[in-house]
Amino acid sequence: MFTQIFQQFGVDWPHFIAQLVLFLVVYFVLSKYAFAPLLKILDERRKRIEESQLNAEKIKKQLAEAELRYQEILRKANDDAQVLLEESRKNNEAFSQREMEKAVKESAAIVERARHEIASERNRMVDEVKREMTGLIIKTTAKVAGKVLSAEDQKRLSEEAAKELAA
Amino acid sequence: MILSLLPIASAELGAETPEFLSRSFLHWLTNSILVTAIVLGVIVWIVRSCTRRIEVIPGIGQNFLEAVVEGFYGAVDGLLGHKLAQKAFPLLGTLFIFILISNWFGLLPGVGSIGWHEGEKFVPLLRPGTADMNMTIAMAAVSMVLWFFWTMQVTGPVAFIKEIFGVKGGMTGPILFLLVPLFLFVGVLEVVSILVRPVSLSLRLYGNVFAGENMLATMINIGHLFHAPNWLCQVLSCIVPVPFYFLELLIGFLQAMVFTLLVLVYLQLSTSHEEH
Repeated sequence: MFTQIFQQFGVDWPHFIAQLVLFLVVYFVLSKYAFAPLLKILDERRKRIEESQLNAEKIKKQLAEAELRYQEILRKANDDAQVLLEESRKNNEAFSQREMEKAVKESAAIVERARHEIASERNRMVDEVKREMTGLIIKTTAKVAGKVLSAEDQKRLSEEAAKELAA
Repeated sequence: MILSLLPIASAELGAETPEFLSRSFLHWLTNSILVTAIVLGVIVWIVRSCTRRIEVIPGIGQNFLEAVVEGFYGAVDGLLGHKLAQKAFPLLGTLFIFILISNWFGLLPGVGSIGWHEGEKFVPLLRPGTADMNMTIAMAAVSMVLWFFWTMQVTGPVAFIKEIFGVKGGMTGPILFLLVPLFLFVGVLEVVSILVRPVSLSLRLYGNVFAGENMLATMINIGHLFHAPNWLCQVLSCIVPVPFYFLELLIGFLQAMVFTLLVLVYLQLSTSHEEH
């Protein structure tokens, strides 16, 4: 029965085999030259996308870490700077205190010295004035007395004058 | 041998070999086999021009092919699982592309209508490959052989037989003995249905394409059927077949889809229980 139906539809071995071979050739060509390389490429691309996604995640994590570290470093630097500033301020204070003390001491010394110098100058001046005065008194006395004073007189007079002036 | 212009005869059930070839060593070369060879050439040309240089960053041709392949592969992958999909996908893709191009090739003007008379018989020069039952049986045979092979690879013969004849539903106890003959009978039915598959696959495709060819020929000849005047025959033969051409385009696509999806479903049915 089947053979009769097949015969009616023109089915026989030579034609069947010819068509079978043609179909197998199509199958071979398509799977070897179209599907295999395409599937390979698709697979490759999928892998690549997966990889890049992983990479992106890694980069994100690294970025977050870097941000954290950066913040940490910044904070530490800030702290350090604060400490340094504090220290330097302290140092500066101590230094200026010392300088001030030194300056005060120095100025006191200068004032003292100046006072001393002034005093000695004054003494010197007073002495000189005294001497001048003594000379003047002797000269005046001699002129008034109209005589030349002896050495003994002079000595007495100067002593007297000195005593007067000192008083 | 006279070139036939009008009227066009309805196609014969089987593919024909022109008389001058039938006595030579080319006696196997029917008009359908010629078309199959042409389709093979077209496919090779398309594939070569699309994938001459396959690159990770695709060009236009490769991109188009990839989009089609990727979409279809996704569906196959979802149904069959990754391992079997890699094996079966080339066959399914080949079936679809080959059947589609063969079906649509039959719609080109001249295919089925250009030929010659041998006595009373009209022999077209070109006849679509899928309108030859040798072709559809060959495809069904390849599909079923590979189906059997892959099923054996995935499940193994013991699981395969158990799946067909075994008692389903997890029954235990005395009721099992009642169910054994029932399921043996179900298994026999199952085997019959499996054996019928290549016949149904091939007849469905052949019948659709062959009927389509005949219908188009009838629609072109519709004026002659009603003995209309000659000028009316010419006008009708231009207008009447147009909607049927669109119908045939749709049927050509659908039959390619149906053949491919059925093979896919057969594979899925016989291997899916292994997956979960």
